[in-house]
Amino acid sequence: MDRWTEQLSEYLDESLPRAEREALDEHLATCAECRETLDELRRVVDRARGLDDRPPSKDLWSGIATRIGSGTAIVSIDRARAPARSTRRLSFSIPQALAAGIALMAVSSGVVWLSLRSPASGQQAADPGRSIDMPAAWHQMDSSVDPVVANLRKTLQVNRAQLNDSTVRILEKNLAIIDSAIADARRALDQDPNNNYLNHHLADVVRRRADLLRRVSTLGVRT
Amino acid sequence: MLPILLAVMLQTPAPSPSPAPRVRHVRPPKVVVNVDPGDDGRYQANVDTTVTVTRGARLDLNNFGGDITVKVWDKSAVRISADNSDRERVDIDVDQQVVTVRTSSRYGAPHMVSFDLTVPAWMALDLEGTYTDITAAGITGDITATTVQGDVDVTGGSGHISLNSTSGSVKLAKAQGRIDIVTVNDGITVTDTKGDLSAETTNGDVELRGIDADNVSATTINGDITYDGTIKDAGHYSFSTNNGDVNVSVPQGANVAVTASTFNGDFDPCFPITLTGSHKHRFTFTMGTGSAKLEMESFGGDLKLCRPGEVGKHHNGTKDKDKDRDDDNE
Repeated sequence: MDRWTEQLSEYLDESLPRAEREALDEHLATCAECRETLDELRRVVDRARGLDDRPPSKDLWSGIATRIGSGTAIVSIDRARAPARSTRRLSFSIPQALAAGIALMAVSSGVVWLSLRSPASGQQAADPGRSIDMPAAWHQMDSSVDPVVANLRKTLQVNRAQLNDSTVRILEKNLAIIDSAIADARRALDQDPNNNYLNHHLADVVRRRADLLRRVSTLGVRT
Repeated sequence: MLPILLAVMLQTPAPSPSPAPRVRHVRPPKVVVNVDPGDDGRYQANVDTTVTVTRGARLDLNNFGGDITVKVWDKSAVRISADNSDRERVDIDVDQQVVTVRTSSRYGAPHMVSFDLTVPAWMALDLEGTYTDITAAGITGDITATTVQGDVDVTGGSGHISLNSTSGSVKLAKAQGRIDIVTVNDGITVTDTKGDLSAETTNGDVELRGIDADNVSATTINGDITYDGTIKDAGHYSFSTNNGDVNVSVPQGANVAVTASTFNGDFDPCFPITLTGSHKHRFTFTMGTGSAKLEMESFGGDLKLCRPGEVGKHHNGTKDKDKDRDDDNE
């Protein structure tokens, strides 16, 4: 990441000092790759802003309270009287924005899983397919996601007994499809590590895997 | 997370030694149907009952297995017809806001009970099942339909429409509003529909035709995506697959900035374009003012851009994928 790329986030937020902004404007006029990176960053921020701030669909607190040993204590949060949230400006570099999105999704998956199931043994399965040649940001992102993914995979095993065989087969087949897509994207990134499309594509497919595993958690309760 | 939760607990006020008097809210009486068994311990079989409802009420039906079919009539009433045996209890709870229908079984797991419902067109629907096909037609209110193994087929609906299956196709036609569709192991078809639209599957095609929307997002991992609809100024249209083709129509005169990305496929516009950027696997160009944004992405497939009515129908490869999905359900 060069000095121009590092300034793109602040540029997007219009918080760059005037002189630096003008210098970057001049550079952008001659650097197609920087313009593309700026467009990419703009898209990531737009998507992040478009995420719904939804309340949980069910009260998760009682399950969480039980698991942390607080007995039957129930905390009631009156949303109507809660102070309004201040609007925060999003300011991330591309790897930060992608990593933040994946980590946020992973944490919410973990909370849902924790509230619905007993905690796992704490063992964290390593992903044998992880590429060691990934860019540093991606390596960190996978590290943050994999424990949750591993736990959710365990949930699928736990839930097998509650799910119809056909449903389990379908879910496992679709997980395999996504895993194959992730492997393909990683192989492609090994060849072209700075390709914006491939980085973006891999982030999407990793998110899809966690979404599907999270769905498994809810299916185990319903069926 | 844990410290935050503990902090919230510590801020909870201690219980008052003398509790304040309870305010009793006066509500209209509920109507409860078929909760108690008869003298012989059996429930009413083949429930068929009609309850009156006030405008604005919604229907909440949760069924373990068996089909749910909803049609409309011009009465302010809901007819609930079920094919339950006398071992299956069908609870119908009616109040001013909601008609709630639940099933349970005297012995073991719930059995299959199919429902035929007739409701006012304005009624919002919240339908959920596990081994359940859901069909609804003619509704003009919100619709939420969720199943695990089963198809969802909805004609109509307005407001918020959320259709969700794990192993089943989802079809929506003639709807209007904000539309969210998710399935895993089958395809999504949306036709003649107006409103922002999000469609997501893992192993299936996404076919969107006759769409009038400012914002459309369609994603699949293993399947084709077809979009034939409006491209409006300031709109955002995003189509992404891993293994499949993306076919999109762009009307003549549209103002749109297009980004087309593929790793192993080709980008094939049906009409002349002038690329403004071509960087490895990504092509960019602008039509008109470029007010709208169109993103087409396929890791392993082709990207095709044509005029309305020209985007491709299903090709042979789709049949194989469909057969594959049918095999899963056998």
